[in-house]
Amino acid sequence: MSQPVLYLKNANIFQDNILILKNLDFEINKGEFFYLIGKTGSGKSSLLKILYGDLPLIDGVGEVVEYDLPSLKEKQIPFLRRKIGIVFQDFKLLNDRSINDNLLFVLKATGWKDKDKMHSKINEVLTKVGLQDKGYKMPFQLSGGEQQRIAIARALLNDPELIIADEPTGNLDPKTSMEVMELLNQIHKSGKTILMATHDYSLILKYPQRTFKVENGEVFEVVHQQ
Amino acid sequence: MSKSFEKYQKRRLQASYLSVVLSITMVLLMVGFLGLTVLKYRNLSGYFKEKVSITLYLKNNMSDKQQTELKKFLADKDYTNKIRFVSKKQAAEEFSKDIGEDFLSFLGDNPLKSYYEIRLKADFVNPAQLVYIKKELEKNDFIEEAAYDAPLVDLLTKNIKTIGFWLIVGASVLAFISVLLLNSSIRLSIYSKRFTIKTMQMVGATKSFIRKPFILGSVRLGLAGAFFASAILLGICYKINHKLPALALLEDVKVLALVVGGIFASAIIITAASAFMATQRFLRLKTDQLYF
Repeated sequence: MSQPVLYLKNANIFQDNILILKNLDFEINKGEFFYLIGKTGSGKSSLLKILYGDLPLIDGVGEVVEYDLPSLKEKQIPFLRRKIGIVFQDFKLLNDRSINDNLLFVLKATGWKDKDKMHSKINEVLTKVGLQDKGYKMPFQLSGGEQQRIAIARALLNDPELIIADEPTGNLDPKTSMEVMELLNQIHKSGKTILMATHDYSLILKYPQRTFKVENGEVFEVVHQQ
Repeated sequence: MSKSFEKYQKRRLQASYLSVVLSITMVLLMVGFLGLTVLKYRNLSGYFKEKVSITLYLKNNMSDKQQTELKKFLADKDYTNKIRFVSKKQAAEEFSKDIGEDFLSFLGDNPLKSYYEIRLKADFVNPAQLVYIKKELEKNDFIEEAAYDAPLVDLLTKNIKTIGFWLIVGASVLAFISVLLLNSSIRLSIYSKRFTIKTMQMVGATKSFIRKPFILGSVRLGLAGAFFASAILLGICYKINHKLPALALLEDVKVLALVVGGIFASAIIITAASAFMATQRFLRLKTDQLYF
């Protein structure tokens, strides 16, 4: 029986004391790929924020990569995030430094010391996303698709147990979205667990996976028609 | 195209750093002037205080040996800065010079007494100490009278206290304003990077790891500001010293070193503390709160 990478039980999610989602009950096992769909403002991002510690889980039970969410302390949050790779819609790269330095920052911040190992890891992830020759560039010198690939490479640096992608194709054109999706699909095939929020149904049709829908303050699994 | 854009961006970045360094320089220059004024004020008030003298009129018929012994006795006192002996004859000459006529010719006899004039150390020039010193000296068998200008000492002490008080009040207000200005410059420069700070948190960096480069960067800007402020201050001191040598601004190397050291210390302490507090503030905010 595979182990859940994350689970929530009877969880109610609040933002500024307002109940956003109620009675959440779901789990994701190692190696699974889940979509999280729902209208804008339905609470997808709030749910993801709970998972990476940007919002506290006040009511209910939950665990992410072996961190108990209700008892999660401020000091534990950086260590939780080191076991999760997060990909954002707006890439969130550090625009004041080159791509190599962006990746180097993450490695240094997460405790890497050996320079050779760091450089070889950076080469490895850049190669994985097909941008091994762009390391010297500044983020603003890359296209949106390339920046998102770099964000994915950054998420892979610490070999995370879970990748959370919050609408990673939201800022991209359909062709580039497909390329990024293809990359995430390859990463999933290599054994990674992925939870991806999206409202791009064409991607779901092209790469069908189990899907949770957020609607009317509730989360439920959608059964795809074959 | 991309290169020229990069150059343009670099220039913009340098200009923003320059404006932070410039505001730090101006504030530290103000701190430096203030420090110099406060330190020099102590010297200046000391200078005036050390002009106060106490005159000891001696009894007649003292032998040379007794005069020498008395001089040694006076020189050993804590409060003595300088001693000057004036004989009866010298006193008569000085008095004649002052009044513009030879009073000895119509008096026939010299009624003046020999005296010691003691210049006191600044710390002992206050009404209470002088009353005590006068009483103590008048107990001496060879001294007929100890005299000083009591109203002048009262006025001098009162004025020095008043000026000193307002100088400290002014210095405190300006120091407070300086800290506020520096703090807001640093805070603004860190505020512009609040989203970068949040991204750093999202990739697993600890608060202390994120804070460190911001603090070091701010201290570096502070040190640059301190360097320019010190250079400008010393340059101005040099110019003032040239025009007003009586102020002896460049003579006291200790005071100058203290002021320059103070500028650098203030720069490090204020920029480090401001950067720490500003970074800490943005580290505590949730992503949504960054937009307010």
